[in-house]
Amino acid sequence: MTQFTRSAPPPPPLHPNGVGLCLAMDASKPSLYRSRPWPGLPVSSESLGSLNSVNCMEQLLVQCANAIESNDATLAQQILWVLNNIAPPDGDSNQRLTSAFLRALIARASKTGSCKMLTAVAARADADLALHVHRFSVIDLASFIDLTPWHRFGYTAANAAIAEAVEGVPAIHIVDLTTTHCMQMPTLIDLLANRPEGPPLIRLTVPSLTTTAPPPPMLDMSYDELGSRLVNFARSRNVAMEFMVIPSDPSDAFDSLIEQLRVQRLVSEDEVVIVNCQMLLHYIPEETVGAIATTMSVNSPTLSLRKMFLEALRGLEPTLVTVVDEDADFTESDLVGRLRSAFNYLWIPYDTVDTFLPRGSERRRWYEAGVRWKIENVIAQEGLQRVERVEPKGRWAQRMRAAGFRSAGFTEEAAAEVKSMLDEHAAGWGLKKEEEELVLTWKGHNVVFAAAWVPC
Amino acid sequence: MMELENSSVMTVSNSGSGEGSVSSSSQLQPPAPPPQPPPPNPVVKKKRNLPGTPDPEAEVIALSPKTLLATNRFVCEICNKGFQRDQNLQLHRRGHNLPWKLRQRTGKEPRKRVYVCPEPSCVHHDPSRALGDLTGIKKHFCRKHGEKKWKCDKCSKKYAVQSDWKAHSKVCGTREYRCDCGTLFSRRDSFITHRAFCDALAEESTKKGPGAPASDPKPPAEEEKATATEEATAAEEVTAATEAAVETAPAAVVAAPLPPQQVAPLELQEPAEPTELPQYMPPPSASLANTSGVTCSSSSNTSLFASLFASTTSTAAAHSTATFSDLMSVMGHADRPLTEPPSLCLATNGGPASLFSPQAQSHDRRPFAPPPPSPHMSATALLQKAAQMGAAATGSSFLKGFGLDASSGQQENIQGDGLQWGHHHGQPRQLELEPEPAPMLSAGLGLGLPYEPDLMMGSSSLFGSKPATLDFLGLGMAPVGGTANGGLSALMTSVTGSGGLNMGSGTAAAGWEGTERKPSSPAIR
Repeated sequence: MTQFTRSAPPPPPLHPNGVGLCLAMDASKPSLYRSRPWPGLPVSSESLGSLNSVNCMEQLLVQCANAIESNDATLAQQILWVLNNIAPPDGDSNQRLTSAFLRALIARASKTGSCKMLTAVAARADADLALHVHRFSVIDLASFIDLTPWHRFGYTAANAAIAEAVEGVPAIHIVDLTTTHCMQMPTLIDLLANRPEGPPLIRLTVPSLTTTAPPPPMLDMSYDELGSRLVNFARSRNVAMEFMVIPSDPSDAFDSLIEQLRVQRLVSEDEVVIVNCQMLLHYIPEETVGAIATTMSVNSPTLSLRKMFLEALRGLEPTLVTVVDEDADFTESDLVGRLRSAFNYLWIPYDTVDTFLPRGSERRRWYEAGVRWKIENVIAQEGLQRVERVEPKGRWAQRMRAAGFRSAGFTEEAAAEVKSMLDEHAAGWGLKKEEEELVLTWKGHNVVFAAAWVPC
Repeated sequence: MMELENSSVMTVSNSGSGEGSVSSSSQLQPPAPPPQPPPPNPVVKKKRNLPGTPDPEAEVIALSPKTLLATNRFVCEICNKGFQRDQNLQLHRRGHNLPWKLRQRTGKEPRKRVYVCPEPSCVHHDPSRALGDLTGIKKHFCRKHGEKKWKCDKCSKKYAVQSDWKAHSKVCGTREYRCDCGTLFSRRDSFITHRAFCDALAEESTKKGPGAPASDPKPPAEEEKATATEEATAAEEVTAATEAAVETAPAAVVAAPLPPQQVAPLELQEPAEPTELPQYMPPPSASLANTSGVTCSSSSNTSLFASLFASTTSTAAAHSTATFSDLMSVMGHADRPLTEPPSLCLATNGGPASLFSPQAQSHDRRPFAPPPPSPHMSATALLQKAAQMGAAATGSSFLKGFGLDASSGQQENIQGDGLQWGHHHGQPRQLELEPEPAPMLSAGLGLGLPYEPDLMMGSSSLFGSKPATLDFLGLGMAPVGGTANGGLSALMTSVTGSGGLNMGSGTAAAGWEGTERKPSSPAIR
């Protein structure tokens, strides 16, 4: 019994039947609830403090999801009302997380409900489904991705692996598959420029996503200009670099990009190809998308674009494939399961940014908007629109092995490099070195994994 | 007074003090804590947990703030001397010449313990967010909720944990990287990343352009590789960059707009091969960043600058003619007859054209549109319409509280009926709903239709920041003393009772007791 805290009352007992009685049966505060009949029910976060625990919020979200899935509008509305009042979007990080899920559930309800009257509003809602996501200038993006080690972790690990893999190689071809618009490249160029044997000639190929709703962060600059700046920077470090952009998209497993790479393979057989995947692979549809008949009709229980893509990569005979992604599972077909997984993972970005950015901060708003985009996609979208199909590191390892790769691991130096990078960030970030992967942790929970694969 | 600590000498049962408390697996102790029998010896499971889910078998421990902040948490039970570390305490205890029985710790393997933060508003207050190690929770509590007693001399940053302060003081001011644009960085990787894209680098390369000879790209003598201390070499790097810049091999360039004054140096460049894909580029043009860096399309526009650098009499690709001439005309070199200005943004002389406005290549969105109304407004619409209909409303008072009912007469009670989406009870009024409430709804929903939002708080945000009001529908309304259906509690009770919860009785119980992914919460009895 937490005797020491006098301010917060002990949370009321929750009836085994669920949320229904949690308000009514609060024995310690009988007067508060009974004397305030509906609708004067106290709605401030404090008086509903008993509901403020994150566990309660999760349960409410789960029940709301169930209600929506079973078309029980009454219950859904009620729970939505409660959730709205205990989770303001400008509250603490838990409340913001819950608020984002709440909005996603409502978005979902508006799409899947069978209410005829919703069609007009729903159509409009669809148009607005692309949240207003901030467009970054390139300098803002450069500082934004360094707010937390979320991205820098993968960059550092991959750079170390790449540098080691191309020792002594005079010319390399890097395929950069990232969501962060080549932000890893400057440090890689810098690393390679400092090689004792001198820098290699670098050819850099990136896809420019052709989808109408690319995942955040959004860059407010063309890739051509971006590439020109990179080339210029490389030149300033005495590194010769070529830059090529191929319009391609994860929704078709980067078909046009693969084709281009294949052609290049034919032209220059000895070329050393490095494929650097940072958080982008999980946008390629995998097996669970197969439930819906697609025009491509390639998705079946045993076949998927994701699998095909990895096999195509293998066919390119790359020298190294770095895979960095989020360590969570968003692929469950069941909404409630997916919601739980997402809820139990996406609290992390809210918490990390809460640690050092004040509530009103603009960058924090952008950051949280990015997370909300993910939440909305995972919860409110289905089929091919649901692009956030994150898989845990174990499954990625299985996939890579099935495609003909073996793990190259990371050297001690690489791990030390990552560790010293993390030490420069806020405390709370940690590093786990596992057999095949390096794992970034926040307060002990897995966040991002990094793995290095070579053809076997 | 006994404080909770790691030693198993203090077992779970000693929770009678006001200082620390231990909650064993799933129960929160009632206000009068009876000493509990020690929990049965569990088998320690070293299984790996899913992310975000501490071991459900773990014992959740909630320490008091005083305990967490205390530095001497290990106390000898014999003489009450305090120690910072358990090992020190054990060493000390040996000195008391305890009989053998008492000297041993009680033999059970300690249960895995996770710690929650005592601060109720903290994210780590909940057991599902517990931290796995004691030092971690101490540091967390101290950092987040403690007083910041330690201050860095150089930059006056404050820290609550002494080790944080020490760690910071070591690095503060020791390494500083300054970009030409004036921004300071304490970390090299962020400095490098910034520098690569910074306008300052681009402009430096531009300025040095015309002076150097243009031939084969041998590295100039004074070029240096960057070293650790960037301040010294920053200037040299820039010099090197500009020197190297001018000596690049000719190649096609990525299309970029040129301000007029930069044309002259460009003319000195070697003619480019128009057919190559964008690769090397003459730095003055490439590094121009004083426009918004707009290019006209993605990868196919190789010929724009190719034509620019080709001799004026031969133009490479036909489709670039217009742009070329336009560009030249803009720059005041009227060598060629003007054709109509292309729809490309180059036509705007240095204006900050948005990349995606005229072309709207792959990204078809309005970049600077005002925040669109949230998609979940449609649920609001449903509720409002439901209220209007008065059919299967979720309790009259429920919606009256929202002020949805302009006419307060609709007091239908839907308890136990359940409003199904799309399942209305055939009220004739529902047919009228479309035209009438729709405008109000739309306005209320901020959808931009031209009706004043009399029902809304004027905010397009569905959930306004007014937690005290019933803002679910964005309507801040005073409570209306409607028919008391016993409040939401009774409502939800009845809903629960009538099986409104679709989780199924079995799962519901399981759900509340905590799933297999979470430790059982002390908040749940």
